[in-house]
Amino acid sequence: MSIEVSNLSFRYGDIRALDGVSFKLGEGAVGLLGPNGAGKSTLLRILLGFLTPEKGEGTVLGYDMRREQAAIRRAVGYMPEDDCFIAGMDAVTYTAYFGELSGMPRQEAMKRAHEVLFYVGLEESRYRLLDTYSAGMKQRLKMAQALVHDPKLLFLDEPTSNLDPQGRVEVLELISDVASHKDIQVLLSSHILADIETLCASVVILNKGKLAAEGRLEDLRAVDYSLFEVRVKGEDGAFRRDLEALKCRVEETEDRLIKVYMPAGMDRGEIFRAASRTGVQVRQFVKSQTKLEDLFAQVVGVD
Amino acid sequence: MATIREKGYYHWDGRLEERRFPWWPITRTGIQLAFKKKWFKFVFALGYAPAIVTLVLIYISERLEDFKSMFGGRDQLIAVNPKFFMNFLTNGGLIFVIVMVLVFAGAGLIADDLKHNSLQVYFARPLRKRDYLLGKMAVIFFFVLLLTLVPAVVLYIFKLIFAGSFRFVADYPWLLLSIAAFSAVLTVFFAFYTLLLSALSKNSRYVMIIVFTVYLFSQILYGIINSIRGLRGPGTALVSIYENLLQVAAFLFGQKPPHAVNPGWSFLILAAVCAASAVVLNKKIRGVEVIR
Repeated sequence: MSIEVSNLSFRYGDIRALDGVSFKLGEGAVGLLGPNGAGKSTLLRILLGFLTPEKGEGTVLGYDMRREQAAIRRAVGYMPEDDCFIAGMDAVTYTAYFGELSGMPRQEAMKRAHEVLFYVGLEESRYRLLDTYSAGMKQRLKMAQALVHDPKLLFLDEPTSNLDPQGRVEVLELISDVASHKDIQVLLSSHILADIETLCASVVILNKGKLAAEGRLEDLRAVDYSLFEVRVKGEDGAFRRDLEALKCRVEETEDRLIKVYMPAGMDRGEIFRAASRTGVQVRQFVKSQTKLEDLFAQVVGVD
Repeated sequence: MATIREKGYYHWDGRLEERRFPWWPITRTGIQLAFKKKWFKFVFALGYAPAIVTLVLIYISERLEDFKSMFGGRDQLIAVNPKFFMNFLTNGGLIFVIVMVLVFAGAGLIADDLKHNSLQVYFARPLRKRDYLLGKMAVIFFFVLLLTLVPAVVLYIFKLIFAGSFRFVADYPWLLLSIAAFSAVLTVFFAFYTLLLSALSKNSRYVMIIVFTVYLFSQILYGIINSIRGLRGPGTALVSIYENLLQVAAFLFGQKPPHAVNPGWSFLILAAVCAASAVVLNKKIRGVEVIR
């Protein structure tokens, strides 16, 4: 297990930020999701050892989060959301500096800084002052400093924020490469659900300081309902009302695609029977993947 | 920008070590960054002007025979004694240059990290708050000691070389201790003073102005209060950073204080500034506040 927490609670004064959160994270990339104030940042702070939990226990890569914070920080790479650099430094010095602060010998840190800067695609700009870097370059640089000491676990906080579409694709490609081929586990906190869906096999969803859902995306999608995409010929109003009467959630897109969220255990043939009852002809019928947005909306109770 | 993964990622096969002095990379980097600043080398070199003048004075005092014609046949031109060394270390010009060095090398030490959100990256490393602060303080220790303790000890050694005997050591056996103690007071005070102001703002230019202005303003305030008849008195010296340093120096070098007020008060004031700085630094320097 890379991360295991049980009954984790924390409060800022009167505000309870985390309330009895327990989960176990395995290998690969894991998405950390939740609306603002859900407790994601507090959880990251506790995992990094910045905050001491009021209650509960936990381990990160087998290290106790209360007693072995230095060991955790040595083994974890952290890419913060905000731009963070040191004025007057170039990328090589900056990356090597943080490698050295992680415990690498100075010369090794310098050598390694060059390697990771090549890896993230900053080789041509590695001697440029950081003050002159673009947003995309800063994101890559943050990734480089997080990777320099070859961590076993990466915490990525909103890694694609403030990026143009091309930059976003490139950073996602980089994270995907790190997560899938480099034996580095990734915990990705993001508001962009599509990023999580692209990169992560599992998610942890927090809501109001509590664990709302946790597990493999595939399993979570299958838990409560199945999604079918249907196109019909004819007046579809009665058809939709019929399905809603059967406790299905029905949505229609602008191009008249009807999404039918069918409760677990219900026979898909009900859709055809409803079509027959209301006199419409089914022209397209596809079982679709439940999107993370739907799952997220369902577990946190928002539309 | 080049394509990601053009060169591939390799695992590092070394072992991360627990450093004996985890603060040292911070100090070394702080010193290197200071020397990259425009004008810094010039200002820092200027700090050795008082030492060079003092060295010449020591030479002349020991080789007076050679210079008798220039000084009208006087037997003693300069008395090299503890007061002489105290005057070197409390020289207004030297203290001014030290403040200028702090302006260039110290103002941005924390302010720049606050401005560029670097604290969270520092504290995501196996680094404690005290390592971070010690690393930053050691930058100031380095520069202030290079301008105070090092030249004072060198001057002391040159005094012995020019005199050709160790009689000076026997006459003032505690002098080296006084030099070390006052250099330490100067260094520790200026380190806390600078880091306090640096932690109060994210704008290092603003901090540069404040570091200089607070020092200068305390001296001006002392001058103003001292010029008002009703307020004039020895205790007014306590409002000035420089006058407090003079009082402490007089105590440590066994000299008569320049103001008729107990030097203990000056110690107390300097210590209070350091304590206030420690409280502010403890509150401001947190990795946790910058993670949203």
